[in-house]
Amino acid sequence: MTQTALLLLLPVVAALTLCQRRRLIAVIGMGVFSLLLSAVYLLAAAPDVAVAEAAIGSALVTVIYVLAIRKTGRLVVVGCEVPGLLGREGKRVVGLEHDVLEGFARELGLDLYVQFVPRESIEPALLRGEADIAAGGLVKGDSAQELCTTPVHLPTAKFRIVMRKGAKPLAEFGGSRGYLSDIVEAVRHKQPLDVTLDLARFMTVSRQDLTGYEVERLPEESAYTFLVNPNRADLVSKLGAFLGKMQEKGELEAFIRRHMS
Amino acid sequence: MSVHRSALAVYAVVLVVAFCGILLALFAYHGPDESSGRDYINRGVGDTGAVNLVSAIYLNYRLYDTLFEILVFSVAVLGVRFYLTDQRASDVVESVPESHVVRRSADLLFPLILIFAVYLVVFGHLSPGGGFSGGAVAGSGLLLCSVALGAGVVARRFHERVLERLEWTALLAILLLALLPLLAGRPALYDLLPRGTPGRVASGGSILLYNLLIGFKVFVGTWVIIHFFIRHRGEI
Amino acid sequence: MGAINGVTVSIVLFGIGLLGLIFRRDLVIKLLALGLVNSSTILCLVSLNVRRGGAVPILRGPDIRHVVDPLPQALVLSAIVINFAILALALVFVMLLVERYHTTDSRRIEHEIDSEGSS
Repeated sequence: MTQTALLLLLPVVAALTLCQRRRLIAVIGMGVFSLLLSAVYLLAAAPDVAVAEAAIGSALVTVIYVLAIRKTGRLVVVGCEVPGLLGREGKRVVGLEHDVLEGFARELGLDLYVQFVPRESIEPALLRGEADIAAGGLVKGDSAQELCTTPVHLPTAKFRIVMRKGAKPLAEFGGSRGYLSDIVEAVRHKQPLDVTLDLARFMTVSRQDLTGYEVERLPEESAYTFLVNPNRADLVSKLGAFLGKMQEKGELEAFIRRHMS
Repeated sequence: MSVHRSALAVYAVVLVVAFCGILLALFAYHGPDESSGRDYINRGVGDTGAVNLVSAIYLNYRLYDTLFEILVFSVAVLGVRFYLTDQRASDVVESVPESHVVRRSADLLFPLILIFAVYLVVFGHLSPGGGFSGGAVAGSGLLLCSVALGAGVVARRFHERVLERLEWTALLAILLLALLPLLAGRPALYDLLPRGTPGRVASGGSILLYNLLIGFKVFVGTWVIIHFFIRHRGEI
Repeated sequence: MGAINGVTVSIVLFGIGLLGLIFRRDLVIKLLALGLVNSSTILCLVSLNVRRGGAVPILRGPDIRHVVDPLPQALVLSAIVINFAILALALVFVMLLVERYHTTDSRRIEHEIDSEGSS
């Protein structure tokens, strides 16, 4: 009687366990399954097997699974796509900022994980704590005050592309304000435009034909920077130190030459 | 492409269900088969002197298979050791000293678990247990210890090198024990030690020896696996 | 033997484990399903000759008529412990894969390996 009840319970537990989304729940479910199985073995007059199954299935197997599904240390970077600084080439991520961040992650002993989002989602993502560092051609002074900025790493310039003064800002073009590709599309279709771009984005856009547009270089100096999650303020000093070291060794120059020429 | 995929999925489900259905139809009403184990039951105690027939089978009648199982176990542990050697967890979680309650209960429970494991191993030929079960229980006892104290502490107390050498010595001893009868002019895997009175600890021939060696081997093997996992991934 | 005995349940578990192995994409869950298939095989072997009132195959007295068959138990006893070691080795490989590709999704890992191989 008990044996039948236990035997009927086994497939139920197994099916429920294998349908779980979260791996931890599945692992614990299999531990419960092993215990039930051990009871079935006992009732089937196999005590040696029952002892072995109980010892192995409930304690040891669960422990090594829990160790195996633990997340490894990652440095999560959220960024918008800017060719030259942080771009995608097929499956790989390339660019100046990516190289810098990869070296930084290697120094910290973490893995680098880059996530691409539109420009306007970067700061909310950082404030929500979904990422540690934000990158992607972010210009100093452009962002909210509570985010930490690192010491600047690449002086840039601001360019202004105008077709007709007072033309519609890009937000009304039907694309989100964030995507660089929208600007490129608009330029290709000769649509009226009034945007201010930094150097890397300007270099991308200038590959299109810019006749009919007025290009003006704004006199103010600006620079690229990384933004850091306010909860991870320790990263600011570490990243600053890393950038300083890179500048001393001249690696920064090499990177700039490689990506921005 | 996704239509193709879902068609494949349907095929897979149908195949698996059909396979299980056929098996069910074949085996559902199969009554108990009287013949296969009768021989062992009738002659087991007389032949081997061990009261636990299961031990008698896998340590006497089928010792050959057990030797290879031990070998597989050793190779698996070796594999774990090999592949996890160079990889150190770079983001090692600092081992938080466990709460007092856990440490106290580990203090109380660990000797009990060890005694239980030794009982399982030594009395393996008289009551349920044996080398494999006893070794596994001892391994999980050590796991409890490492959860409470920290795996680093336990590993330091255990002198890994000595343990490694002992583990391979145990394997060698098992193989030599199996080959020893060749010297005495008997076939290999023959049981040289006396049978003794069934029901006493000193019975069953060399089953007790095998149980001890296998128990030690499995104990050290499971500890090595757990330790290398913890070293690779951080403390629990 | 009644219709619901160890053998039938083990066949059902085998089917569940196999379906889980095929359809779940997460590598860790695939391994869990494989362990389930292992356990179901062992259950089948252990319960092949069980009948009501069967006695444990440890002979206390002279009465040996009702003792259950000890052979399948002997076969699977070491298998359970060995399966643990082999599972640990398989988990080592899964861990190394996950650390390399930062995902446990088997389809994505195949993708990455394909694109690595072609590029």
